[in-house]
Amino acid sequence: MEYGVVVFYSTSWALKAEKVAKEGGFEVKLIPTPRQISSDCGTALRFRWEDREALLDLLESKGVRIEGVHKI
Amino acid sequence: MSRFFASRIGIIVSGAIIGALAALLVLWGNPPNMGICVACFTRDTAGALGLHRAATVQYIRPELIGFILGALLGALLFKEFKPRSGSAPLIRFVLGFFAIIGALVFLGCPWRAYLRLAGGDLNALLGIAGFIVGVAIGVFFLKRGYSLGRSRPVGTAVGLVMPVFALILLLLLLFRVSFGENAPIFFSKSGPGSLHAPILISLAVGIVAGFLAQRTRFCTMGAIRDVIIMRDFHLLSGVLAFIVAAFLVNLAIGKFHPGFAPQPIAHSNHLWNFLGMVLAGMSFALAGGCPGRQFFMAGEGDGDAAIFIFGMLVGAAFVHNFNLAGVPDKIVDGKLVVGGPSLWGQIAVIVGLIIVAAIGWTMREK
Repeated sequence: MEYGVVVFYSTSWALKAEKVAKEGGFEVKLIPTPRQISSDCGTALRFRWEDREALLDLLESKGVRIEGVHKI
Repeated sequence: MSRFFASRIGIIVSGAIIGALAALLVLWGNPPNMGICVACFTRDTAGALGLHRAATVQYIRPELIGFILGALLGALLFKEFKPRSGSAPLIRFVLGFFAIIGALVFLGCPWRAYLRLAGGDLNALLGIAGFIVGVAIGVFFLKRGYSLGRSRPVGTAVGLVMPVFALILLLLLLFRVSFGENAPIFFSKSGPGSLHAPILISLAVGIVAGFLAQRTRFCTMGAIRDVIIMRDFHLLSGVLAFIVAAFLVNLAIGKFHPGFAPQPIAHSNHLWNFLGMVLAGMSFALAGGCPGRQFFMAGEGDGDAAIFIFGMLVGAAFVHNFNLAGVPDKIVDGKLVVGGPSLWGQIAVIVGLIIVAAIGWTMREK
């Protein structure tokens, strides 16, 4: 199982993204932003890498602002 | 090496080292149960600069200088020095201002709350409970959409302000500069401000802690926040290691004395220990980091964290100029007189709770 994380500018965006993603039926989990990605103590959204395109489309359509996407 | 610091073992080892050193600092001269207290040390530094004139709490604390320099070192070595700013700095100043009011009513920031617990001071339990409640309230606001907005990369100068300020403070301390008769830099001759480990030892401990904390993201507030938001125990494991290591060192050096009263530089006014730390917890949660973390972020170049620290510095000055601080318990004629904040201190905490709640309720990303 390959995972990716969506990284956000602030924790509140991460929380909103989790809500949107779960409502959209995606299997996601909030995790602390992986240390290797950032020294910021933010919150990231882990998702299944195969869901990448669909998830990012959904987040964009709901106005969720993201900082970036990384494979982990 | 990066992977070590990112790992669970890394943060546990780091937390244990910092906790052990904090307990040892008391052996080496720092005030009881106050090996490291970011709020108290900020207050002491404010006093040394003459921002307040409470004679018993005036001393430039090298630990804080070490935090900045150690974090800066870690950031530079691993290419994580990122000058950034712009995330509602004025609000962060206000949050720092009220965070330290809450902490000084309790007579400790979360670091000291854990160290007091590790020293047997059971009043810390009230403070920690209040702190957890405060962080939970902050999380409630986060879930509602609270945000101070993103910061943006800025010129290098922004990131160097705090390190340069720290170095200037170090020089003022090392050379005991005096700006005139009855003028700063002040050095307490009695009271907590007069109790300190040798400068170089304090500085070295601060640098080690700053480096480890920057590498691992050690944060006493984040530890609670991450458990509440996502049941993640990574940061908490570091904090628990901190407490256990400090406790074991205290046992070994005979500085573990369990009980409620009297405890050194503490009071057993349960309500205000609790409420003061609710205010502190809310403020640190809304500002995205415990006071230690704000110093470490400032060392990484975060200008917003630096402004929070200046808010704490000014808040500490207000606390002692306006008689807001918690007064320790005293023994008078063999009887315990419970301390706590003055009426002004209580009003300040209530006002702070309202203002910080208003910030949490209304601030959203534009």
